[in-house]
Amino acid sequence: MKSSIDIDHVCALAHLRLTEKEKEVLAPQLAEIVEWVGRLEELRLPMSSQGPDSHLPFSLVFRPDEARPSQPLETALANAPEKAGPFIKVPKVIEEK
Amino acid sequence: MSVTSFRLSEIQSLVAKKELKAEEVIRAYLERIEKQEPAVAAFISVEGEKALERARAVDRKREKGSLAGVPVAVKDNILIQGMRATCGSRILENFIAPYSATVIEKLAAEDAVFIGKTNLDEFGMGSSTESSAFFVTRNPWDLSRVPGGSSGGSAAAVAAGEAAAALGSDTGGSVRQPAAFCGVVGLKPTYGRVSRYGLVAYASSLDQIGPLTRTVEDCALLTKIISGPDGRDSTLADRPVPDFPKVMKETLGPFKAAHLKEALIEKIDPDVKDIYWKTVDGLRDLGGELIEIDFPSWEYALPCYYIIAASEASSNLARYDGVRYGFRDSDYGNLREMYINTRTRGFGEEVKRRILLGTFALSSGYYDAYYLKAARTRQMVSLEFERAFANVDYVVTPTAPEPAFPLGAKTDPLTMYLSDIFTVSANLAGLPGISVPCGLSREGLPIGLQIIGKHFQEDRLFQLAFLVEKKVEFKNNRNIINWKEEK
Repeated sequence: MKSSIDIDHVCALAHLRLTEKEKEVLAPQLAEIVEWVGRLEELRLPMSSQGPDSHLPFSLVFRPDEARPSQPLETALANAPEKAGPFIKVPKVIEEK
Repeated sequence: MSVTSFRLSEIQSLVAKKELKAEEVIRAYLERIEKQEPAVAAFISVEGEKALERARAVDRKREKGSLAGVPVAVKDNILIQGMRATCGSRILENFIAPYSATVIEKLAAEDAVFIGKTNLDEFGMGSSTESSAFFVTRNPWDLSRVPGGSSGGSAAAVAAGEAAAALGSDTGGSVRQPAAFCGVVGLKPTYGRVSRYGLVAYASSLDQIGPLTRTVEDCALLTKIISGPDGRDSTLADRPVPDFPKVMKETLGPFKAAHLKEALIEKIDPDVKDIYWKTVDGLRDLGGELIEIDFPSWEYALPCYYIIAASEASSNLARYDGVRYGFRDSDYGNLREMYINTRTRGFGEEVKRRILLGTFALSSGYYDAYYLKAARTRQMVSLEFERAFANVDYVVTPTAPEPAFPLGAKTDPLTMYLSDIFTVSANLAGLPGISVPCGLSREGLPIGLQIIGKHFQEDRLFQLAFLVEKKVEFKNNRNIINWKEEK
């Protein structure tokens, strides 16, 4: 598993920006970590797909799909960084061409 | 003996009989916090006024719960309505919890008193509590050393007598390793035993909430209370919850425990090795038969864990984008820039590292080679445990490869990750694991024994841990600083 990590591409996917200086530190560290986790390549494993709950000795438990009271508006908005009346204020989602 | 050395059941019994006021208990602990906190720095926020108010309410109640007046410290990634929940991160620095976690509701129903929120590695990502965005917590046994992590604040608070018990969360060892470093008891329950509703998610297929306490009995009591049905967490199994403190004292009888052959060739500190073998010899005196078993997936468990945890973290932490809650950077031209600037300024270095690793492992072209491979490796780890538990009742290991290390000693991330070498496997397989103090290094630092059990057999873990606790006579696990002062 020889794969070099394209740090700019991964940053773009993760919505993060690194300064050149941070890249100098993080890029080799990540390369080293990726090489280390790449040890799994040595293993011969069955090709069956395993979901994130495959380690559970029981099935996921669901309750009846019934409506329940939810957070009151004031509580839900209390931590919002910017508000306008009963709304969370965000920058324009669709850019003008 | 001072109030701050009492067991949970002693506090409860005195408060219930009105021989001691819950308010007095809380005052004693707040005084202790005032004295110890400048050195230890276990708490992100101390909620003295709220705690006293709550204690007075407990004193007024006619029927008192099984934790009446017990001061509990809570890791700052578990929500308590109306209190801050920072997760040790700038991005949630001013976040006030709009509701309480299920575990908090369960403890409150038994009249526990929440005394404050404890420091942690940012979002639980770390093994020393040094990646907190705010400050480092110091190990009460030696202030130049780390308390372990990520629940380092909770472990240090209990060890320093600043709380009678604490809650932490364990994704790859974050309750057990700091418990070992601080000489307290720490349990990661079976995945599915304790509701995670109200725990801020790091890696959802691994996270479990667990108690940190001074004694095994206290741990059994807290576990009994926080376990069981919820309806707000679909990963919570519908299983009966045994009366752990009662079952713990029942005769264990002959048992079989296994060493993992591959685990013992790891680089282990000589003192840890020495104490571990002494403890294991002691298990034989307790009726144990010790066998060695092969565990070929052992060396792959840690890299497997880091792929899975980082992948899930990259997904879980995508929600911190400055839109609905938390920090929003004020400098942006459009929506995408707001996301990027908020996350870039809000997250610390270790969190960024793990988000980037996880994003990479899940990205197109690499998913099969990394994430899927890790998921299959995880299955192999589970199967090997299953095979082991067909023949034995327990698997035992040291909790950590070394005692508490000096602050600032591990600057290289991979070296830090190796701290979790003994603990991650239980998370991968969803098994319960407990760390119980089993001795001191030559430098006087606590060392922990990890006991891993079968799914939903915490009762058996408590039985053996209780015997180990009695056997090693770890006298100072009740209140180390008092003990040192009295000596």
